[in-house]
Amino acid sequence: MTTALLIVHGLLAVALLGAITHQAAALLLPTTRPAGSFTGRFRAVAAPGYANAIVFLYVFTAVLGGVIYAEYRISIRIVLEELQLRVANGSFELKEHLAAVGLGMLPAYWWYWRQPATEPGAALTRTMLTAMLAFVVWWNFLVGHIVNNIRGFGS
Amino acid sequence: MSRVLPVFAIVFAAVYALIYTLAVWKNYALFTYHPALNEFGIGVQKPKDGPAMYWYGWMATAGISAAVAGFIACLIPASASRRLWPGLAWLVPLCAMVFFAWMLRGYFMR
Repeated sequence: MTTALLIVHGLLAVALLGAITHQAAALLLPTTRPAGSFTGRFRAVAAPGYANAIVFLYVFTAVLGGVIYAEYRISIRIVLEELQLRVANGSFELKEHLAAVGLGMLPAYWWYWRQPATEPGAALTRTMLTAMLAFVVWWNFLVGHIVNNIRGFGS
Repeated sequence: MSRVLPVFAIVFAAVYALIYTLAVWKNYALFTYHPALNEFGIGVQKPKDGPAMYWYGWMATAGISAAVAGFIACLIPASASRRLWPGLAWLVPLCAMVFFAWMLRGYFMR
């Protein structure tokens, strides 16, 4: 059961990673439309259209992560400690805190993508929230992937 | 509604990050989960048979506190809430992230 949930958690994380990277790239590195190159087309997406999907994916990925986290604490963290893999262990500790802080940012993130950033400070707030969420998602994805590889599938 | 929502969102983001950081630092978990026993307990409890998990309890402490603060902030008159800086929604979480990186530095430095 945990393996199935871990796979779904990973699949949701892939979708979230793609969505937030598209949006962050479109926001931070805007390009003219229609774009000719692959990277240009990657950045030329309509960024506001991703916000609802990102909130949905973030919440569901986090909830599933929270469900399988208990198994991590019982079966995997102990192994990381026994193997003295301090960096991997610390990276996962940071992942849990970043995920939690990211959850608290979601209402503000959603609000600042919901309407045009016309008020003073709104554009900066939208940019910072998006960039920070993108960082959290990338960090958590990579750390989760690496820790999963350390322990090994089904071991 | 368009006045209240951003006030709630900004206050929620800032207070949640602040309280979550405090909850982790001082261990103010609303409840404890004992995964080996599949048991929940009120407040901070010592490990029983296996590890004790406080992460869910820290998030509950932060989430409830932030929601209460957000609702209270929505009651503030419009003239006052207009002065609320939207940057708090990212600055406080950013400081929290930096704090956690500092707090966990022992794992990365010998």
